[in-house]
Amino acid sequence: MNIIIVSDGQVGYTLAEYLSRDGHDITLVDKSRRALQKASETLDVLCVLGSGANLRTLIEAGAEAADIIIAATTNDELNMVSCLAAKQLGAKYAIARVRDPEYTESLTLLQDKLDIDQAINPERATAQEISRLMRFPFAINVESFAHGRVEMVEFRVEKSDRIDSVPLSHLHGRYPHVQFNAVLREGEAIIPGGGFEIHIGDRLYVTGDRVSVTAFFKQLGRDTQRAKNAILIGGGHVSYYLAKTMAGMGIHLKIVEVNEEKCKSLSETLDNAVVINGDGTDRELLESENIRDHDALICLTDRDEENLVTGLYGVRLGMRKVIVKINRLETMDIIGDMGIDSVVSPKLATANVILRAVRARSHSQSSVIEKVYPLLANQAEAYEFVALSGGSYLNIPLNRLSLKRGVLVSMIVRGRQIIIPFGSDHIEAGDTVILTALAGTMVDLKDAFDATER
Amino acid sequence: MNKRLILKLAGSVLLVEAALMFAPLIISLIMRSGDWSAFALSIAITLAAGSGLSQVRPRDDTLSAREGFAVVTLSWLFVSFCGALPFFLSGAIPSLVDSVFETVSGFTTTGATILTNVEGLTRGLLFWRSLTHWAGGMGVLVLSLAIIPKMGGRSIYLMRAESSGPSTEKLVPRVGKTAKILYQLYIGMSLILMIALLLCGVNWYDSLIHTFGAAGTGGFSNYNASVAHLNNPAAEIVLGVFMVLFGVNFAVYYHVIHRNWSTLKQGSEWQLFLGIVAASTLAVAFSILRMPEFQGHFGRALRATFFQVSSIITTTGYATEDFNRWPQFSRTLLLVLMVIGGCAGSTAGGLKVIRIQVLFKSMARDIRKTVHPRSVNVIKLDGRALDEKLISGVQGYFFAAMMLIILSTLAVSLDNFDFETSFTAVVATFFNIGPGLSMVGPTGNFTAFSPAAKCVLILCMLMGRLEIFPILMLAAPSAYEK
Repeated sequence: MNIIIVSDGQVGYTLAEYLSRDGHDITLVDKSRRALQKASETLDVLCVLGSGANLRTLIEAGAEAADIIIAATTNDELNMVSCLAAKQLGAKYAIARVRDPEYTESLTLLQDKLDIDQAINPERATAQEISRLMRFPFAINVESFAHGRVEMVEFRVEKSDRIDSVPLSHLHGRYPHVQFNAVLREGEAIIPGGGFEIHIGDRLYVTGDRVSVTAFFKQLGRDTQRAKNAILIGGGHVSYYLAKTMAGMGIHLKIVEVNEEKCKSLSETLDNAVVINGDGTDRELLESENIRDHDALICLTDRDEENLVTGLYGVRLGMRKVIVKINRLETMDIIGDMGIDSVVSPKLATANVILRAVRARSHSQSSVIEKVYPLLANQAEAYEFVALSGGSYLNIPLNRLSLKRGVLVSMIVRGRQIIIPFGSDHIEAGDTVILTALAGTMVDLKDAFDATER
Repeated sequence: MNKRLILKLAGSVLLVEAALMFAPLIISLIMRSGDWSAFALSIAITLAAGSGLSQVRPRDDTLSAREGFAVVTLSWLFVSFCGALPFFLSGAIPSLVDSVFETVSGFTTTGATILTNVEGLTRGLLFWRSLTHWAGGMGVLVLSLAIIPKMGGRSIYLMRAESSGPSTEKLVPRVGKTAKILYQLYIGMSLILMIALLLCGVNWYDSLIHTFGAAGTGGFSNYNASVAHLNNPAAEIVLGVFMVLFGVNFAVYYHVIHRNWSTLKQGSEWQLFLGIVAASTLAVAFSILRMPEFQGHFGRALRATFFQVSSIITTTGYATEDFNRWPQFSRTLLLVLMVIGGCAGSTAGGLKVIRIQVLFKSMARDIRKTVHPRSVNVIKLDGRALDEKLISGVQGYFFAAMMLIILSTLAVSLDNFDFETSFTAVVATFFNIGPGLSMVGPTGNFTAFSPAAKCVLILCMLMGRLEIFPILMLAAPSAYEK
C-alpha cells in the first residue's frame, strides 16, 4: 500500500521502519530536515520536507494516490487538518493521533465531520498499559489478547521461582495451563523449544487466561497482590487518562505536579485523586507524602532525566512497583539494566497502535490480524489472528503442519475454550490464534507454516 | 568498512555485466564478424569473477555512505577491467592500457578514443563499445538495482553515489522501483530514437550504434568521421534533438507522464538548460556565418551549430563538422558549454546546470551580504529553501573539480603537447565529453599520449562520471580505519 506518514521526529521514523519492512511504500513528511536526512539514509522510503497541512507538500507526497495517511505529530490540530486535506485530495483512509482529553470527548463528532477514519490516542494506550502493570506489580510488561481473555506477562526469572534448569517440556507438565512464549537472554530473543532450559535472570513471557496466570504466579510464590495505591509524578495527558482508569480499579492515587495551573485543572476534572502542587524530584515532599507506604511510583513528567532519577530513588526505597516514562527510545534497554524494569513510552505506544491499525487493514483472505505486540526490545512479536474459512492449514493437527522455525502457536481461543495447543490440536475457522515469532516475519496466519504440508 | 558486503555487491554488478556481454556475442554470431570467441571467453571470465565474489557471505548487510561509495567505485573498476577483455583478447587493441582506456571511455560515456581507424574494428566489438555507453549512461549500479530484487537494505547510497548531481531524489518510495522506472524511461526513449533514425533512412546497425551513443550521451560512432559519415541531415536533427532530451533530468519525463505540470513549471534547471542551448546555438551560428562554407547559408549554419552545441553541452561528443577549425569565439564558447554540461539526473556529464545555478545564487548572496552585512538570506531554488550543506557541498565540488583538472593538466603536459591539447584533453575526459580542441579535436584522437598520461585520463573519466568523491574517498587512509 502507499502510505504517507506526517510526523515530527521519532514516531514517524519508527513507523516508517516497521511499515516499510512490512512491504509498504512509505512517504515520510516532516518539517525537520534532520529527521528526514536520517530516514532517507537508513530507510528505503521517500522523504518530503514540509508541513502535513500544506497542500503543495501533500501533493508532492502523492496524497492523491495514497491508501493511508497517518498524521502522528504532537499537534492534534495539525494532525486533523492534515488528514482532512489528504482526504480531500483523494487519500483513501486517514489515521490521526489525537491526544488532548478536550478532543477525545467530542471525538465521534469530530471524526465524522473531519473525515478521519481512525483516531488513535497513545497517551490513553500508555495509561492502559500502566494500569495493567498495577495488577501484576512484579511484571515487566502485561498485555492482553482476545478481548482481555488471554494475558501475556513478562517477568524476570528469579532463584526463588524454582523453574530454572528444567526443560520446558517438564515445566509444561508442572504448569499445564500456561504457555512459555519467548525468552530474552543477554539481549537476544529466543522462541524456545521443548528442550529449552530457563536460566535465572532471563526475561520470560508466559500466556494464559487471567485465572491461570494468577495461579501460576502464586505457585511460583510471587506476591500476586495488586497495587492498592500509587504516587504519580507529573500531570500530563497520560496522568489524566491513568487517573480515570485507576479510579475504576479502586486504586488510590496521588498526583504530584509542579505547575499550579495544571494542578487546578486536574483537580477540576478528577474527583478521586489527590492532587499535590510541588516538585516531584523533591525528596522532602515525597517523604512527607509517605512515599514508603505506597505500592507504586509512576514517573510521567516530560523530562526523561527527572523520571529516571525519581524512579531510581523509588527502587532504592524498595517500592513494589516503579514505572518510568521515557521519550528517547534508544535509552530503554540501558534503563532496564539500572534496575527499573517497567518503562513506558508514549512514542513507542503511538507507533505500535498505528502499526496494528495498518496491519489490520492489510489483511488477507484467510485471516484477520487483530493485534501485533512487540516483545523483547522489538526482536520478537506476538500476533493475534482470527482464522477465516479457506485457509489451507485449517482442521489439520499441528504436528502434521510444518511450522516455520522461530514460530510458536501460543494459544488457540475457540468460543469459550482456551487451548494451550499440543501436536494433536488443530485450528478451526473462527478461532483466535495467538502466535509468537521473531519480528517482521508474519503478515498473515499462513506465514507461520511452510507452504508445503507434510 | 564492511569489506565482504562491498565485494559481494560488486560481484553481483559483474554478473549483470556478463549478461550484457551476451548482446555483442549474439550480434557477432549473427553478423559473422569472427570475434565471438573473444566475447565467449570474456563472458566466462566475468561470470567466474562475478559469481565467485557474490558467493561472499557478509556478516551483516548494513550499508553506510562510505561503503556505498566504495561499492560504486570498486564496481566501476571491475566492470571497466572486465569490459576491456573483449578488445584485448581479440587482439583488436593490443595494449591493455588502451583497451581499458577505450572501455572506461565507453562506460563513463566520454567517447574519447585511442583508435586511429574505428572502422577497422569488427562489428561485435563496435557494438560492445557502444553498448558500454548505453549501460554506463544511466549507470551499471542503477541497472543492477533495477534487476536484482534486493541489493541489501540501504541501497539509496549506491544510487546516490552513482547518479549525477548534487542531490539525488527518489521518484517513488523504493530505490529498486525508482531504478526500474528510470530504466523504463531510458529504454522507451532509446527505442523512440532508434525508430526515428530508422525512419530517416539509417540502417539498423548504424541506428543502434548511434542510439546507444546519443542515449548515454557517450559519442562513440562506428565511423571515423562520426555522424558526418551518415551524410543525412534528417538524422542529424533527430540526433541533435534527442541528445538534448537525454541531457535533461529524467525526473522531468516521469512528471510529464504523470501530468505533474505544476512540478514541471517549478523546475528551473531544465528550463535554464534549454535556454542555454538555444542562446549558444544562436551565438555560435552567427559567429560561423563568416566562414566560407557557410557564407550566407544561415539554415545550414544553424543546423551544424545546433548539432554541435547539443552534442557538446550534453557531453556526447558526436561531430558533423570539425569545430576545431571554427572561429575562436565559437571554440571558447563550446569549451564553456563542456564545463557546464547537462542537468543532474541525466546521462550527461559536466558540472551540471543545477550546480552552476547554486554557485551563482550563492555568489549573489555574498554580494548582498557585503551591501547589507546583517541581512539574512536563504537561497531558494524552485520555490524551496536550499540546505546550507548542499550549497557548501556544491562549492566544495567545484573547487575539487577545478583543482583536479589543473593537476591532471600538469601531469598530462609531461607529454609535451601544446597547452590547448593538454588542457582540453583533460577537460574532455573529466567532463566525459570525448573530443576536445586542437590535437584531440573531433577529427583527432588520444592515441598519441603516453601510457602514463592515458592512465591519468582514465582516472579523470572515472572521477568525472562518479563525481569525484567516491574515488577520492578510497584514497583517504581514514576510510580504511576500523
